Amino acid sequence: MTTRWSRLMAVLVAVGMLSGVIAVGALAQSESKTSLIGKLEGPEVVTDAGKIPKAFKEAPQLAELVKAGKLPPVAERIGQDPLVIKPLHSIGKYGGTWRSGFTGPADFWNGFRCCSGPDHLMFWDYTGDKAMPNIAKGLEMQDGGRAWLVHLRRGMKWSDGKPFTADDFVFWFEDIYRNKDLVPTPSAQLAINGKQGSIEKVDTHTVRFKFPEPYFMLPDVLAGATDLAGQGFAYRGMGGFAPAHYLKQFHPKYVGQAELDKKVKDAKFDSWVRMFLAKNDWALNPDLPVVSPWKTATPINTPTWTLERNPYSVFVDTAGNQLPYIDKVVLTLAENLEVLNLRAIAGEYDYQQRHIDLGKLPVLIENQQKGGYKVHLDPGDYGGDMIIKFNLSYDADPEIAKWFNTADFRRALSLGIDRDQINETFWLGTGTPGSVVPADTNKYNPGPQYRKMWSTLDLKKANEILDKIGLAKKDAQGYRLRADGKGRLRIEIMTLGGQFVQYTQISEMIREQWKKIGIDLQVQEVERSLALKRTAANEQQLGAWNNDGSEHLFTFPLHVFPFELAAVATSGPLYVKWFHSAGAQGKEPEPRMKELMEKWKKAFGVPEKERIQLGKDIWKIAAEEVYIIGVVGVGPAANGVRIVKTNMGNIPARQYNSPDGKTPAISRPATFYYK
Amino acid sequence: MLAYIGRRALLALFTVWAISVLSFAIIQLPPGDYVTSYIAQMASSGSVVTEEEAQNLRIQYGLGQPIYVQYLKWMNLIVRGNFGMSMEWRRPVAEVIGERLWLTVVVSVAALILTWVLALPIGIYSAVRQYSPGDYAATFVGFIGLAVPNFLLALVLLYLGFVLFNAHIGGLFSPELQDAPWSTARVVDLLKHLPVPALILGLAGTAQQVRIMRANLLDELRKPYVVTARSKGLSELRVLLKYPVRLALNPFASTIGYTLPYIVSGSIIVSLVLGLPTVGPLLLKALIAQDMFLAGTIVLLLGLMTVIGTLISDIVLVWIDPRIRLEET
Repeated sequence: MTTRWSRLMAVLVAVGMLSGVIAVGALAQSESKTSLIGKLEGPEVVTDAGKIPKAFKEAPQLAELVKAGKLPPVAERIGQDPLVIKPLHSIGKYGGTWRSGFTGPADFWNGFRCCSGPDHLMFWDYTGDKAMPNIAKGLEMQDGGRAWLVHLRRGMKWSDGKPFTADDFVFWFEDIYRNKDLVPTPSAQLAINGKQGSIEKVDTHTVRFKFPEPYFMLPDVLAGATDLAGQGFAYRGMGGFAPAHYLKQFHPKYVGQAELDKKVKDAKFDSWVRMFLAKNDWALNPDLPVVSPWKTATPINTPTWTLERNPYSVFVDTAGNQLPYIDKVVLTLAENLEVLNLRAIAGEYDYQQRHIDLGKLPVLIENQQKGGYKVHLDPGDYGGDMIIKFNLSYDADPEIAKWFNTADFRRALSLGIDRDQINETFWLGTGTPGSVVPADTNKYNPGPQYRKMWSTLDLKKANEILDKIGLAKKDAQGYRLRADGKGRLRIEIMTLGGQFVQYTQISEMIREQWKKIGIDLQVQEVERSLALKRTAANEQQLGAWNNDGSEHLFTFPLHVFPFELAAVATSGPLYVKWFHSAGAQGKEPEPRMKELMEKWKKAFGVPEKERIQLGKDIWKIAAEEVYIIGVVGVGPAANGVRIVKTNMGNIPARQYNSPDGKTPAISRPATFYYK
Repeated sequence: MLAYIGRRALLALFTVWAISVLSFAIIQLPPGDYVTSYIAQMASSGSVVTEEEAQNLRIQYGLGQPIYVQYLKWMNLIVRGNFGMSMEWRRPVAEVIGERLWLTVVVSVAALILTWVLALPIGIYSAVRQYSPGDYAATFVGFIGLAVPNFLLALVLLYLGFVLFNAHIGGLFSPELQDAPWSTARVVDLLKHLPVPALILGLAGTAQQVRIMRANLLDELRKPYVVTARSKGLSELRVLLKYPVRLALNPFASTIGYTLPYIVSGSIIVSLVLGLPTVGPLLLKALIAQDMFLAGTIVLLLGLMTVIGTLISDIVLVWIDPRIRLEET
């Protein structure tokens, strides 16, 4: 009798202690979480001519080389029009190696984001809202928006010392972009209303972009991560400019075909096209001249991707110090995300943002002292870290197609999701439950009421709506029956595993939640290539993904409406064909989606104020029609968990997290330094 | 004997060729090809790859041609010692695999040696002191090693290493020596990092070998010749080691053949988790990206190792066990 009681007491005490420990742990976590999201801040580009420094200083190693006569003096290397950046907190010190991690040759975005400058002609300010001059000194609109003058910086040079001039733009346009072998399809971003533009030289330091119709949005397109955004996409033949003096030796127009063939064979490439594009690859070719603050020293297809300072960097700080402060960036290969995260926890990286898993936040916070780093959270601006797309052009099953095309059906399903539960479980409470619209601070946000529109948990209303539209009959287990009498209404969602967000697990949770509104959801996790194949073949019913980039919906429309066939989640592949063929192929979308597409197309050719209104209208339609269900967004799940060593300076408390902003490029890593 | 080896070698060659055909075919099985996987990657980072661009890429990589043409092209290259170009790494396959292959062999051999060094004594002890606490303890630990998945064990040990010993996470070298040319310092560094991967890889195999050794030895120990030897006055240890253990080693010799490739392929996930620069993670990535020549070459090499290993173990078996003689004699 006594032993049984004492055993019971022991168990109770143990359980009590355990729950106490858990509670304390949870409390500790929730307290620190709010302090992880700081105030948005960042360095600024100085355009005031009066504030541009007249005397320049450089890194000690470069000064040595100048003394030895191996490099021209720093003023000559920078030119007369430096790109001046006011560092966030203070002028920095030269020196140091930035250690980071990458996952293999497919991870080239990693390098572009951290170390390319960026080298766009224009670029966003730290709020992600305004396009400011960057590599270009300024833009001038002419002819009612049909032409844009791009003023280059006098005396600016490529990383090998050769001048950066308008010829590099003309070379790119005439010999790369217009060469059908190198670029088989022209870019939609160098076109307005489907009509291609052109680039011409005005003088050595001025280029003109010409279009048949007004293209008011060009500054934003030049600022975003688009086809005209510097050498990031040079490996596909894009960029807007290219080092003519270097690449001519690989081009059949300047070198005889026979000689070129010999070069191709010697270098073991399959064709001159492959060789040319490989030579034009910022991450792959250490010999490629660049204009970014660091340039690749050992390429991305080796276990260590190293980048070293560019002695001809045109970036300087307000005191005239040539940037970057940090000498070298070393990215080590971590083929597995677990290893990368563990290394971050162990403090082996100085600044790591990419590939850090939000789920590991508690361990990251716990080891801050030991690892010598601080954790920051940078929530993205886009509405959905997790979204569910309805394939509206699905036609394999007419009954399901009918329901997908019924707005109330989509709305009811959206009302049946318990977003708070999902937010707590997968985002540890750091996300924002809601619809697909971007953050309230985004200029295209239609209004705060649209966040909650059709995006709260309302089981009663959801069930009412489903009953009303014709799905009132249920089977013995409580699942709704199809209206055509063929049994239970069963819908399928396609997910991808191994991503930043745990789509499969979240879908499983939604499956449980939708039981309460009588919907039977089947979750199918597939591999990426298979997902692409199925969506392109119009076989997908529901697709889970995120809508990152949609906060800049004009440069990133992929997740606003069906824009492209190659997607892992789609709102309607047949509509994609219809959109791109101007109605000749595919299927015509329903009226409201058509309206949305029209507004999107129109926005490129109208002044900014009108464009902003069109953007808001587009999001209004998206929120009302629920073509895509937003689950949890404006969160740090994708690229939003940042680990920074405490001895690094000019680090923002919070930065604008967006693929268009090439975060962390938006915080100008060239101004980071070691204290 | 020579004829035997000759015949086996010829058969081995044929087997390797069959493996090459099979591996090439299997790699093609998932839908799409390298370009599809490339498009998928582009799509997930927000870039558009148009149909024409995809077609262009396919032509450039030779992916538009029928499979047997691609296979013949590959065979053609191999015969000349060129394993083709890796599409993902954009380097010759031989370069990509190059150093990793040696490291794979080093890690696998280390694991194999560790397995035997642990399994043999423990197995012998278990058999001789059957049902003792030591026997139970060894069996228990062995089975835990067998039951717990390698990669979980790897992660736990990595984490413990970091928390308790501040050890460098994963990899076979310290960051400073990662890309340095070979030197004594680098070799020493390698040896310092080797125990953990070798232990994890070897642990599962150890349990198996312990049980086999124990069972075999128990059989042998009951045989009359052991009693004879003991009665003739030989010391217990000599009785044990000179006869029964040698016989019990029989199955070990025959398993050399598949143990090596077993460790190499079983180590894929562990290598991935531990960040070891071996062939395993490379193969996984190549398969996912459908990087044909790279994946095909690795599978071919693994197949080759298995076949050679089996050949070696057959020869070793014939050599150490006089009872297994050839049909002709």
